Amino acid sequence: MTLSFDFTLNGRPCQAEAPAHWTLLDLLRDGLALHGTKFGCGEGVCGTCTVLLDDEPVRSCLVLAARIRGRAVVTVEGLDREGEPDPLQVAFARAGAVQCGFCTPGMLLSVRALLAANPAPSEHDVREALAGNLCRCTGYTKIVEAVLAVAAGR
Amino acid sequence: MRLRPFTLAEPESVPEALEILARFDGEARIIAGGTALVPTMRLGLVAPDGLVALHRIPALTEVDAERGVLEIGAMTTLAVLARHGAVRSSWPLLAQATGRVATPAIRSTATLGGNLCYAEAASDPAPALLCLDAQVRVAHGAGERVVPIAELFTGFYETALASGEILTGVRVPAPPAAARSGYVKFCPRSAEDKPLVGVAALFTLDAAQRVETIRIGLGGAAPTPVRAVGAERVVQGQILTDAVAREAAEAAATEAEPLSDVMGSADYRREMIRVWLRRLLTGLRDGRPPA
Repeated sequence: MTLSFDFTLNGRPCQAEAPAHWTLLDLLRDGLALHGTKFGCGEGVCGTCTVLLDDEPVRSCLVLAARIRGRAVVTVEGLDREGEPDPLQVAFARAGAVQCGFCTPGMLLSVRALLAANPAPSEHDVREALAGNLCRCTGYTKIVEAVLAVAAGR
Repeated sequence: MRLRPFTLAEPESVPEALEILARFDGEARIIAGGTALVPTMRLGLVAPDGLVALHRIPALTEVDAERGVLEIGAMTTLAVLARHGAVRSSWPLLAQATGRVATPAIRSTATLGGNLCYAEAASDPAPALLCLDAQVRVAHGAGERVVPIAELFTGFYETALASGEILTGVRVPAPPAAARSGYVKFCPRSAEDKPLVGVAALFTLDAAQRVETIRIGLGGAAPTPVRAVGAERVVQGQILTDAVAREAAEAAATEAEPLSDVMGSADYRREMIRVWLRRLLTGLRDGRPPA
């Protein structure tokens, strides 16, 4: 059973076809060859498949592709602005918040959602927003620093 | 790693959904947010031939707090409830409990109806809804029935819903404006986990500072979310002294029938019910509930 539907992908109208049993992650990686979004645990726990759906962070491994019909999806490929990296991406690189990089796309989108809803978050707010994004390399300290630096305009 | 193929139905009304479910004759599952069902399918624990998705039924995402009773469509996400102005001001216990479920990217997707139908013993919203005397609305082929939340949970991941029925909404009466309430979620591993035990309480005091009415709801304390009726009885009509709070906590620990699992033993759960119910009751009494 194949579904066909329209949605918005990284700001552009998009038409997709997907088998009914595909998740949004299957569609992104295998249907649209957007490999920035990672498959980690497949159970919604690790956070590396996080994307934005109508500005809210979701686990793309848990969301059926059919759910995005008529809605707006943002992946890590859509974060740059006219070829320039997002300030969060610059801050992550500058702070050393990236080591192996596998968690980074999910981290960036969780934090993008946080800053859209709360432009001046406390350290506690940042940690809460990232509670579901696991990183086995950095120990989180540099990630939190990078987010606070962007919020402070540094 | 793909899900096993299935047929997906996306009805646009509850009657249409009921009709499709009847046609599948028990071989289909209802999918709400999918945050519980999809991992369960990926692990191969369930392998339905069909999924009936409720996301295209607009009436199921409505939240109405206009008439002093909160009517929540079953497909309302936990994130919407946690930040809803009227819910936060008049049903703060529900806002608190829904805001403690998992992580932002789960709360944006997970629904209240889905949470209740999954019937997780350590659900965060369930103990709060038990304290609030909530009811659920259940649609079936011949109409609708209303089930008190305490009667919804019938066993380990089991509900009173019959095959072919759909939980369409949750009705929550407003607690008295002066009621004190709080929810404690105890997670020994990490904050986004389901709780080892969850403890919710809601009570009112009379002019003499005696407890007039009290409800205590527990998660992780039995095979289903439960009310701690014995503990309620200890507190009812009493001044909430440290000794009364200790005695109530003792009663709750005694009446609990927790399971042992990878998160913790039944004894540990019992002990944590004792600790956290006492802290919650005295904290609410003193205006400093534990977070």
